[in-house]
Amino acid sequence: MSPTPAKPGGTRIPSRRTVLRGAFTAAVVTGTAGALLPLLDRDPAAAARPEPAPGPGSGSRATTEEFAEMYRGREIRGTATVVVPAGAPAGDRAAVAAEPVTEIRIDGRPLHVMRRADGTYLSDVRHYESYPTLLETARAAVDELGTARLAPPAAHHM
Amino acid sequence: MYTRKNQRDLTRTEKRRLIDAILKLKRSGRYDDFVVMHREYYVMDTERRPRPAHMTSSFFPWHRQYLLEFEKALQRFDAGVSVPYWDWTQDNRTTSSLWAEDFLGGNGRPGDRRVTTGPFAYAEGNWSVGRGVTDEHYLTRNFGRPGSAPVSLPTRNDLARALKDPVYDTAPWNSVSTEGFRNRVEGWGIRGVRAVGLHNRVHQWVGGPMAGAASPEDPVFWLHHSFIDLLWDRWRKAHPKSAYLPGRKPASPGPDRDYVFGLDEAMPPWGVTPRKLLDHGKIYRYA
Repeated sequence: MSPTPAKPGGTRIPSRRTVLRGAFTAAVVTGTAGALLPLLDRDPAAAARPEPAPGPGSGSRATTEEFAEMYRGREIRGTATVVVPAGAPAGDRAAVAAEPVTEIRIDGRPLHVMRRADGTYLSDVRHYESYPTLLETARAAVDELGTARLAPPAAHHM
Repeated sequence: MYTRKNQRDLTRTEKRRLIDAILKLKRSGRYDDFVVMHREYYVMDTERRPRPAHMTSSFFPWHRQYLLEFEKALQRFDAGVSVPYWDWTQDNRTTSSLWAEDFLGGNGRPGDRRVTTGPFAYAEGNWSVGRGVTDEHYLTRNFGRPGSAPVSLPTRNDLARALKDPVYDTAPWNSVSTEGFRNRVEGWGIRGVRAVGLHNRVHQWVGGPMAGAASPEDPVFWLHHSFIDLLWDRWRKAHPKSAYLPGRKPASPGPDRDYVFGLDEAMPPWGVTPRKLLDHGKIYRYA
């Protein structure tokens, strides 16, 4: 899937897709590990759940959304990736697909993104409203930020 | 027993004492613990773990206890203060006395949206924000979110519609429950059903930290939630035969039931059940 084409209000940045995808994959793995730690501490059931292992040959990875654009002077980039473990039964496949790994960056800094039960996304910056796509979520966060920048990654989890 | 007043009825002295207690709590470091706590218990309804605070039936009792804890913390500095409520259907103007210099200060200025008036203006030296969302340390607000997606405060009619619903909450007990008082007030937008409403809409309207994951960083958070708490009272009074839901397992089953708190299930971090919080008449009352 190619980056989301430019829409009113956003200027598409020429895609460096191959390079980007590698960079995002690394970031996604690190980001997820960090975010899951407190969760696993608290919930042994979650720790017991098999991890979707994204190593070569262990499953397939599908990018469901990817974009890179300038929006109101800010560079926003994002990807949603679904990891389907190889040989997963059809039921599990659906369960995994329901929770894609997501990544949004605004001017290079990660925006913490969450998902609602209806599949829409919200972020740390807009926390009481959700959007069907990551692109809308990123643009809404830029609108809410105004001139402020996101906190650097280290400060992200208090 | 103490009283929570409508913020518009506070005397000048009552406002000053409340602000002083909040600033002392901030200086002690405890205020920021409340910010962190809210963030920690704001669990999404896609997460497979208990969610006591948002997108959940215990939205009302969890925030009731949260406010009580906050109030207790303030009262250690001044036993005579309580958290007033902001009725945003009534005080819905940016010129309301709520936002005056002697109370919460006003809207953010154009450009960087920095609040420059009142006790929480950064330049006063008593208030800094930025617990992990942005790297700015001054409080910001952006009333009504002017621009491509403006927001208005909920109206009396919006509120009346929610209070009319005789059922407390409905399965799946989350952010997409289309019926029930709880999610009508919590206000999650549901595609094809309704837009963002009441509680959530007020967070959006204020903007800045209030719209984000560290919303208690703006002290108006407490006045907003004091009113939300009062709405639970009003609803209970309007529907005396309606119970808190879900009740006992397995009488109220559902796919999400394991992660929500029924009437007798203890909520973290305090271990208090919703049942214990139904009636607050011995602790405080609303005027």
